[in-house]
This record gives sequence, C-alpha cells and structure tokens, in this order.
Amino acid sequence: MKIDKAVIAQTPESSPKSSLLREKGLMKGFIDHYSETRGKTIIYSSALLMIIAVVAITLFLTVQGLRSFFVDHINFWSFITGTKWSLDQTNGASYGAFPFIFGSLSVTLLAAVFATPVAVGCALFMAEIAKKWGQRVLQPIIEILVGIPSVVYGLIGLSVIVPFMRVHFGGSGFNLLAGSLVVGIMILPTVASIAADSLRAVPDSLREASFAIGGTKWQTIWRVVIPAAGSSIVTAIILGMSRAFGEALAVQMVIGNTFQMPHSIFAPAATLTTVITGSMGDTTTGSVSNDVLWSLGLILLVISYIFILIIRMLAKRRNA
Amino acid sequence: MSSKVTNRIALSLIVLCAIIMAGILAALLGYILVNGVTSISWHFLTSESDPFLAGGGIKDQLWNSFYVLIITMILTVPIGTSGGIYLAEYAKPGKLTSFIRSCVEVLASLPSIVVGMFGMLIFVNYFQFRFSVLSGALALTVFNLPVIVRVTEDGFHSLSSHQKEGGLALGLTHWHTIKTILLPAAFPSILTGIILSAGRVFGESAALLFTAGMSTPNLNFTNWNPASPTSPLNMFRSAETLSVHIWAVNTSGIIPDIQTVANGSAAVLVICVLLFNLLARGLGKVINNKLSGKS
Amino acid sequence: MMIQLDTNIANFTNDKGEETPVQIEVKDVNIFYGSNHAVKDVNMPIHEKSITALIGPSGCGKSTFIRTINRMNDLIPIARCEGNILYRDNNILNPKIDVVQLRKEIGMVFQQPNPFPKSISENIQLPLKFAGMRNKKILKETTENCLKEVGLWDEVKDRLDHSATGLSGGQQQRLCIARALALKPSVILLDEPTSALDPVSTSKIEELLLRLKKDYTIVIVTHNMQQAARIADYTAFFYQGELVEFGLTRNLFTHPEKKSTADYISGRFG
Repeated sequence: MKIDKAVIAQTPESSPKSSLLREKGLMKGFIDHYSETRGKTIIYSSALLMIIAVVAITLFLTVQGLRSFFVDHINFWSFITGTKWSLDQTNGASYGAFPFIFGSLSVTLLAAVFATPVAVGCALFMAEIAKKWGQRVLQPIIEILVGIPSVVYGLIGLSVIVPFMRVHFGGSGFNLLAGSLVVGIMILPTVASIAADSLRAVPDSLREASFAIGGTKWQTIWRVVIPAAGSSIVTAIILGMSRAFGEALAVQMVIGNTFQMPHSIFAPAATLTTVITGSMGDTTTGSVSNDVLWSLGLILLVISYIFILIIRMLAKRRNA
Repeated sequence: MSSKVTNRIALSLIVLCAIIMAGILAALLGYILVNGVTSISWHFLTSESDPFLAGGGIKDQLWNSFYVLIITMILTVPIGTSGGIYLAEYAKPGKLTSFIRSCVEVLASLPSIVVGMFGMLIFVNYFQFRFSVLSGALALTVFNLPVIVRVTEDGFHSLSSHQKEGGLALGLTHWHTIKTILLPAAFPSILTGIILSAGRVFGESAALLFTAGMSTPNLNFTNWNPASPTSPLNMFRSAETLSVHIWAVNTSGIIPDIQTVANGSAAVLVICVLLFNLLARGLGKVINNKLSGKS
Repeated sequence: MMIQLDTNIANFTNDKGEETPVQIEVKDVNIFYGSNHAVKDVNMPIHEKSITALIGPSGCGKSTFIRTINRMNDLIPIARCEGNILYRDNNILNPKIDVVQLRKEIGMVFQQPNPFPKSISENIQLPLKFAGMRNKKILKETTENCLKEVGLWDEVKDRLDHSATGLSGGQQQRLCIARALALKPSVILLDEPTSALDPVSTSKIEELLLRLKKDYTIVIVTHNMQQAARIADYTAFFYQGELVEFGLTRNLFTHPEKKSTADYISGRFG
C-alpha cells in the first residue's frame, strides 16, 4: 500500500523532468551511439584481421609449398625421405630433405635435453626454495635473458662455443652439438619462467599436506608439487621446443650448414630453417630450386602446427 | 637417513641450476659488453658500414632498426590493443571467439622465419613493395600483433569488475566505459608490455631477412623527403637492421674486422634491449605511483 | 545452556575413566607473527590416548598454536616461537630437531581436505614411500588397514586407483585422516577438520575420532563448542592469544573458573 502511494505521489512530479532528460539524452544517445558503433567497428575489424593473417599465412605458404610437388612433379615421398640434396641444376639436382628434417628435430630434442633440467631446477628454486630471492633476483635475470635477441646468442655461440668445440672435439667446430647448445641456452629462460608460473599455481595446501606426513622438501617437490604442476611443466618444455625448432639465424651461425646427413653430434649439419635462410637468396622465384625451399617452409609450418596442437591438447586436458 | 641425503643433494642441485642461470646471464652480458663496448665509439655509431674495408660503422643499420621499429609500432599498437579489447570485453564465449583465440595463439607460436617467408610472398612479391622498410614493418606487425593483443587482454582482465560496473552504472555505454575508465586504468600494464615487445621487435632478425632485405642504399641524412630514394624516411627502400647486420657480417661478410663490427653491433643491440627493459619497468612504476597518488 | 551440555558429555578420559599420563608438555610458549604476539605464555599438558580440544573465538591463536606442535609454522617465514614443548624428552621447538621425523610421529589434518591429486591408494602410500617403504605387500596392507580404520574401505575398495579428488568432502577428509594414520603416529593434530563439512560427514568424523583415541593422542582445534563437549576429554579455552582455562571437558563446561570461559561457552560472545 505504502509503495503504491509513493509511486502515485512521484509520478506527476517526475514526469516533466524525465521528458526534459530525454531530450538531452537524445543528443547524447546519438553521439554515444555513433561513438559506440565506431569503437565496435575498429575492434571487430582488428579481430577479423588476425583471422585473415592466420588464414593467409597458412593458405599462401601451403599453395607455394605444394608447387614443387604439383608443378615441378617432385615425388613427395622421395622429398621427405631422400638424403641427397643438391640444387645444382647442371649436374642433376636432387631433392632429399630428410637430413634437414632430421637436423631440425635433433636440434630441438637436444636443446630440450640441455635446457629442461636447468630450467626446471631454476623454476623450483624460484617457486619452492627461495621465493624472495627468486622474485627479486632471478625473475629479472630471466626476463632480461628472454629479451636478448637470438642473433646475439648465435654470435656468442660463434665466438665461444665453436672455438671450444674446435679445440676439444676437433673438426671445424661448427656442428650439431654447437647448434643445440646455442638454442638450448636460448630457450632456457622461456622454459624456466613458464615452469615457475605453473609451480606457483600449485596450492600450498598440498605442500602442507606433504610436510604434515613427514615429507622432506625434496620428497614434497618430487612426489607432490611436480606431479600436481605436471602438464603445465610439460607445456613449458614443449613451448621451448617449438621455439628451438623455429629458430633460424642463431642455429645457422654455428651448425655448419652441410647438406649431408650428420653421422654424429660432432658433425656439421643443417636444419629446415638454416637451409631456407642460406639458400633463399641464391635462387630465383619460380625456379625449382626456389620451390623446394618453399616446400621446406611448408614442412616447417606443418610441424609448427603440430607443436601448437600438442600444446592445446595439454591445455585442454588440464582444464578438463 | 637416505631420504635426508637425497634431500640435501637434490636441493643443492636446484640451487646449482639457479646459479647456472644467473651465471649464463652474467657471462653473456659480460662477454658482449666487455668485448663490444671497446669497439663502440662515436665514429662507429655515426659512420656508414664499409662492405670491404675495416673501420666501418653502423649508422644506417641503427637508424633502420629504429625506423622499422617505429613503423611496426604505429601499425601494431592500435590494431593489437583493439584486438585485445575485443577479446577482453566483447568476445562472447563461443566458436568464433575460441577460433580468434586460436588464431592469436598460432600467430604467437609461428617461427619468425615462417612469418618472414609469408612477408616475402605477400608484401615483397605480390604487393610489389620489394625488400623495403614497409615490407619489414608489415611482417613484424604479423609477428608482434599477438603479443600486444595478449598484453592488452591481460591488462583488462587484471582490473577489478567494480570499475566497469561503476562506469556502466553512470549511464555510460560500454564503449565509453572502455574508453574513459578501463583503458586508462589498464594503461600502465599495457604500456609496459608494449615497450617489452618493442625490445623483441628491435632484436628480431629472421622475419626481416626476406622482407627488409640485407642491404641499405646510400642514405643522405640531410634529405628528409620521404619520396626521395636516398632519404632515410623512404619506406620503399631496402633496410638492413642491426640484428640482420650482425648475422650478415658473420656469415657472409668479407671485411677484415668482422669480430669488432659484430661485437660492437651486438653490444649496441643488447644495450638497447636492456634500455627497453629498464624503461618498461621504470615507466610502469612511475605511472603506478602517480595513479596511486604517491607523487 | 551449560546444563544442557552437561548431559551430552558422555565420555571420560579413558575407558576406565582415569586420567592418562601426559605425553606432551607445553611450557611458556610464545608465538609471534612478525610483530604480532599471536600466542602468549601458554602452559598445558596433552594427555596420552585422549582427545584434547582447543576452543575459542576466531583469531584467538588456537590454530597458530596447534601448528606449532609439529612445527608446520616453520613454513611461514615471519612466524617465530619461543618456549618449550616437551615430547619424549625432546623440545619440539629446538631448531636442531629433525622436523621430518617429528612430523612422522605427530601427524596433522587440515581444515580443508587436501588429498593429493593422485589415486586413493597412492594418497595413503605416499607417506610410507616418503619414509622409504618399498615393499608392495606392506603398502597394500597398510592402505587397506588405514582405510578400514577410518571406515572408508567399504566405500572405496572398488576404486582405489581412482583419483582422490573425485571423493566427497567428507570422504576426502577421512582419507586425509587415513593418510595421517599410515605412518602410525603417536599424536594426530586436527585443525578444524569438520568446519568445511556437512553435519552427517561431521558426525562420522567425530565417531571416528572417538574410536581412534584408543590408540592415538588427538588434539583438535574446533570453533564448535558442542563438538568439543561431545568428543573431548580435555578442553583448552583460548582467548586473544592466551590460554584462559584448561581442564577436563566436563569440569570446564559445567564449572568454568573464569568469567570469559563461561561467557564463551554460554554463547555470549564469539
């Protein structure tokens, strides 16, 4: 009853005011509407642009990469599995990309093998052992390391690691191991910082539970914290591997760049990226030698997509 | 007893890993700076590189790096921030949104050389921009866009929902709320992210190899007419950047002082990246203090 | 209120109604959180094979205090303890003491059930594995015994390899108790073990504790006075960091000596 009265009492008073407001509001509403539409247009078109970028990259690189198979009629299977690579058109060219696929994958794997223990150890230090120190000292160090350009890593590899290899293992010093070490050091900070984030996400109640049943610090880390952070740490490693896989110039500077299959880690080798960077400038657009480089690029793209898919699958499993 | 020993050993190993990490940074910075700083001189920074003789500088390369960076940032910042705002504020959960998110993720994870190859195919060959500043900047845009999108989205997500509700409650439209309330509030963290990404763009090399090229025409630094082929501002000339230069002199250079030039260039590059890093931290802190009223 | 409670106090110190010997002697314990003096000059005995309840309004220091008994406060960098907690001729607060061994003898169960995101059996076997046990047969037996002891065996025996996080809250908490039992500790500390649970699960846990006190010394923090009255032999009332009153539960609830104790148990504050 009371409410009714209040409504009735208010209505006559407020109606002229509200009509006044509406007049003002009309203009304001118009401007607002205009600005809202304009804002939305900008925003939606930038979202659209990102879709276009991805679709265009995938589409164009695929079309261009398939040329050597459909236009130049190179056998796909022998391209993937062949081990002889020669762009010399006069003496019979041969397009066997297997040494490069093998080189790329071994650099990636070796880099992960070098980087993972140190990176995870470093993450454990930051997240489990010395949180203050980790936050204040190690975190900035890692951020700086992430920011250092890859050519600088390559240059260091060239002027430190390569001479070291030459003195201790013989040969030219340019080899698969040097390439893997350079890339391994390069991905260290990336893996460490993502791994530290995933360790920090493990709830403290699990650590407490583990200490309360007589776990030592290490037992707690090994049996409880790492399994709980599990797939996130794996994601960190795979992200690092995908970076290692895609790195071009740093590897190219130290790996030796031969077209032969490496017979040991102390032998010079080549990867998909190094062959592309090395030969792209020497070939003319539209020639077979050029087309096969784009095919290498396509392989690079496909394997990168596989990495992305693995990372997505891990993320999905984590959320499920 | 044995579990105690294991504990001791394992913990020492972890500490060792941290020391290794810190040691790598110290060694890396130490090596670059100690070897490089001695080759940096006013002459080195302000003279042109010499293709055959010793004593060349890096003036053009340094200029090109900054020029490409600026064009890239002019292209990426508006597009990237609006993309980030879209994902943070407008995107409704659904197939389209998750597809856009996947696109951002894919763009962020593609090797930069793939982006470079794409740039060569589209900007250099198809649009006929040739090896040029513009082609390079466009390729770097593709490369940097996802970073800015993420930085913006994270900046918006870290704001409390009260601020948005406050704006909407005042009768502002959604766009107005974003423009007048949310964007300024998220500004410090977005700015920090943008500067850090600038450091990444500045050091990028593989994506520029096939787009900005590996040479620079003779530049006349008194000619500021962007249409002139010798002008530093010309966007349609090829432009070798500092990081590409480091790679190029090491792999195909024939100058006698490769070591000096490479170390000096690397030192300049690293110092610039460190400055970006410090700037990002410093500015973020200053703006935060201002916003929270600590003068 | 007091009289009502009186009839609920059914249990005595042990089966014969006698007081059991003192197992842990707390002497002049002070705990600081940074500059905050959280627990002040606490002196009290903890009797063997009995249930001691710590009650008091929130923020009174009871949780801080119980976490000191197995040195869980070590995990908090700003926490600092002074005084003596004597257990088997050792001072628990001695910095040189082996906290890992200590926690094997004095187990703990927390407010929020915190099973490891692993299988049910793995949860119980983990403390044994921590202690170096590798014998599969013993691991299996202990799993079964511990689960039977907490009355969970029949509910989970068909899915021992399922994740423990799939259990209900009450089941998870009983699993956590079973996990604490796996090492055959002499003392079990429980920090508000039922406050996150529903009444049915709560009464199951209370029954369980009454059964367990035949073999274990139990210390429980509870904000629920009725719970203390139902299950505890001894009760300690904490208020603003001080131990206001300690005694046999039936005495404390029927004839509290201090006024603030009387006020609290009759519901006038807190």
